[in-house]
Amino acid sequence: MAEGAGGAAANGGSDEKVLDFLDSVDSYLTTMESLAPILRQGWFDLASARHSMGVFRVSSASLDLKDHSASTYLQMVGHESDDSFVGQPSFSLCKWASADNKSCCSEEEIPDSQLRHRGTSRLSENQEQNSNGDDSLKTVDDLVKKERSKTLSVFGTLVSPKLRTAQLSFETALEVLVEAANIRSSMLSAYSQVQKQMEDTREGEIGPIP
Amino acid sequence: MAGRAQIATKSSALIAMIADEDTVTGFLLAGVGNVDLRRKTNYLIVDSKTTVKAIEDAFKEFTTREDIAVVLISQYVANMIRFLVDSYNKPVPAILEIPSKDHPYDPAHDSVLSRVKYLFSAESVASGRR
Repeated sequence: MAEGAGGAAANGGSDEKVLDFLDSVDSYLTTMESLAPILRQGWFDLASARHSMGVFRVSSASLDLKDHSASTYLQMVGHESDDSFVGQPSFSLCKWASADNKSCCSEEEIPDSQLRHRGTSRLSENQEQNSNGDDSLKTVDDLVKKERSKTLSVFGTLVSPKLRTAQLSFETALEVLVEAANIRSSMLSAYSQVQKQMEDTREGEIGPIP
Repeated sequence: MAGRAQIATKSSALIAMIADEDTVTGFLLAGVGNVDLRRKTNYLIVDSKTTVKAIEDAFKEFTTREDIAVVLISQYVANMIRFLVDSYNKPVPAILEIPSKDHPYDPAHDSVLSRVKYLFSAESVASGRR
C-alpha cells in the first residue's frame, strides 16, 4: 500500500512536470503568434513614414554610428556558477533609460506604487506625497519623451507621425519578445526536468546490470 | 554539483539583432541600438549582399559577448545558418527567431521547439514503453 501511495505521488509529480512543460510550450507558441501583427503594424507605419519623409531619410543610412549606449536594455536575473549562467535566467525590459541618469525611466517590473514614491523622501502628509508622486511621474514621462525624441531625431528634426507610431509598435514588440524570452527560459528548464525524469525512469526499469 | 557556489546576480545587458533593414530600423527606434567606442554595433542588417559567412560571424560574436542577453534573428536568416543556430544550447543569450515581412514565423523551424519536440516524437514514446 505504501509503495502504491509512493508510486502514485511520484507519478503525480512527474505528471505535473510534464504539464508545466506543455503549458510553457503552449505559452511560447501563443506569444510568438501574437508578435506577428504587432511587427506587421510597425513595418506598415515605417513604410508610411518612408513614403512621406523620403526613402533616404528613413533608411539604414540615417542610423547613428557615433558611439552611444542603448536607451532600452534588459535587466537579467540569473544564477552564476563558474562564470556561466545556470538554471533559469529571467529578463525584464528597461525602457528609455536616461544617459545622464542610468536608472530606468520605464521599467516593466516596477509596480506603479513604487514609481509614484520615487521622487518622495520621508513625507508623512498624503497630499504632499501625492503631489510629489505626480511630480515624479511627470519627470519620468518627460524623460521618456526626451529619450524617444532623441532617438527619432536621428531621422531629422521634423518626422512623420507614422514614425512615432512605428516606434510605439516596436516598443510593444519588444515587450512581447521579452515575455517570449522568459517563457523560453522556463520551457527549457521544464524540458530538462522532464528529460531527466525519463532517464531516471528508464534506468530504474532496466535495473542494475549483474 | 554540491560544491559549486551559485550566486544570484542582476545585470543589465543588450538586445542584439540580425535581421532585415526594416526590422532593425524599427527596433533601433525603440532604443535598443548600442555602438561602442570601437564602432561595434549590437546589430547586423541583412540584405541581398550579406554573405552567409558575415551572418555566421555576427551570430558567433553576439552569442559570445557577455553584454548581450537576447539575440533576435529573423527566421529566414536563421535558416541560412540553421546548423549553427540549432547547435547553440546555452541559456544566455536567448535566441529568438522572429518573423520578417516576407517570411512568416514557422514553429516547425524554430530551434528551441525543434529541440523539445523530441519529447513528442514516436522514438521517445516507443523508448518509454519498452
